[in-house]
Amino acid sequence: MIKPDLKHAILDELRLEDWQIDDETTAAEVPGWDSLSHVNVILAVEKAFGVRFSNVEVLKLNSIGDLQRLLDSKLG
Amino acid sequence: MYFDSLQYIIFVPIVLAAYQFMPSRWRWAVLLSASIGFYAALRMPLLVIAWTLVVLTSYWCGRRISGEGNDLRRRTYLWAGVAAQLVILVSIKYLRNILRLILPGFEISTGGTEWFSTLGISYYTLQAVSYLADVYLGMTEPERHLGRFALYLGFFPKLLQGPIERAGDLLPQLRSLGSFNYANVRSGVLLFCWGLFKKVAVANRLAPFVTAVYYDPHGYSGISLIAATYMYAIQILADFSGYTDMALGVARMFNIRLTENFNSPYFATSIADFWRRWHISFSRWILDYIFKPLQIQWRDARKVGVVGALLVTFLFSGLWHGSTLTFVAWGLLHGVYLASSILLKPWREAVYHKIGLANHPWRRAFQAFVTFHLVVFAWIFFRASSIADSWYIATHLFVAATTRISYATTVRGGVMGAILNGRSARDFAMLGAAMTVWFLGSTFSKIVRLQDQPIWFRWSMYYAVILALVYLNAYDDVGFVYFQF
Repeated sequence: MIKPDLKHAILDELRLEDWQIDDETTAAEVPGWDSLSHVNVILAVEKAFGVRFSNVEVLKLNSIGDLQRLLDSKLG
Repeated sequence: MYFDSLQYIIFVPIVLAAYQFMPSRWRWAVLLSASIGFYAALRMPLLVIAWTLVVLTSYWCGRRISGEGNDLRRRTYLWAGVAAQLVILVSIKYLRNILRLILPGFEISTGGTEWFSTLGISYYTLQAVSYLADVYLGMTEPERHLGRFALYLGFFPKLLQGPIERAGDLLPQLRSLGSFNYANVRSGVLLFCWGLFKKVAVANRLAPFVTAVYYDPHGYSGISLIAATYMYAIQILADFSGYTDMALGVARMFNIRLTENFNSPYFATSIADFWRRWHISFSRWILDYIFKPLQIQWRDARKVGVVGALLVTFLFSGLWHGSTLTFVAWGLLHGVYLASSILLKPWREAVYHKIGLANHPWRRAFQAFVTFHLVVFAWIFFRASSIADSWYIATHLFVAATTRISYATTVRGGVMGAILNGRSARDFAMLGAAMTVWFLGSTFSKIVRLQDQPIWFRWSMYYAVILALVYLNAYDDVGFVYFQF
């Protein structure tokens, strides 16, 4: 389940008004989220929640559900 | 025994028959034996040794990474495995130079055996690195069966020139090798023939036109250089995508789906889009294992970090193709194209709005036109023999005939003379016919699913491909461009 504040941080960075995002959604399925903008989305999420991901943690992400779970684990 | 040789056309049905009659649990052994035999038949013994070392080191490190709980030790095994692949790759690539350095005047009497070939090694070492990284990141399970793992790295259709397969895509298929499937064999044969057509009828017919100019470009200028450069862009696509179709076709006969390496790359609307469509398995590799880690590592530097990651990634891409300055220049040029597209994006959008192209239906066509020409310009550096040659070509594309040869071809022969450069009009007409068949066939295959058509129609198409192969074949022995990497 993707929480509204994560969805908001992602859509805000990609300048999208709205987009259907669920656990299985991958970056490639979201308009504007390509390999070049990927790092900006990660930075925006880190900034919005005041966390820092390790490089390997980011490289392991396969879906937005993975990102939500990683974020939850950081926020305790 | 290359893909366009008679031996290979005899070899594949023999392997297919052995595969069919073997119990399913031993089919991997048939394919592995065939792959080792295929590699050995090239009479390049060091390559078989190198491949064996790659298999053993990556297999062992993969097992160690997955069996280890301590992250520092897992990382140590990962880097040890990657370093082993690099050492094997560099040793084989530069063995002749190393030996000459140690033993001045060193030469080896070959007697038909090619000791210093590097055929295939660049592809399966990259595949081994991707396997180790994926095991480390938990994206794939390590393969416990050594024979099946060796087949993953050495499956003969993809051994010499890729595609570079991800473990998660190919290993599961090798674990359940299916029995004879008529539909797969039929479509595999057709795809093989179609790839062979692209190679022998299109790429091999273009090669002499290109070579005539690029062999000594200083004799030419203007139209001759432009025509040869456009022709090279088409030659390299027909050559490499033809090879890939042949590889995919043969793999399909054994019920194995390999990665598509091309998706109409010259219709790309940006350089980033081009790299999503050209040599896709290699692009994915450099994106996942070089660009992304660097991009994440340097993320605090924002755009500067992305630009740096792009330049390093495409410098690697250039060096992977060859250690000469021409390949470095080609790689860096693509890195600069991509970096510029990021840095100039706000201005580019403003210009599109100003000239009314922002939401215009012609925008995509305009972008495709610009992208294609940027790619073609970069091919000059890829194809030329030296930096001096590529610089000469790049700076004489729009210079009128000044040299003896270009005067003779352009002024006396007109535009056609400049394009033909001594080749006959018949050669050019045959080339035109082959390219027309290629274009129609490619377009047709995107619109119509052949397997859904009635039998008379399917067989008409099969005969059409065979006839095109027979009548438009260049009958020239021209090696595959991507074998050299």
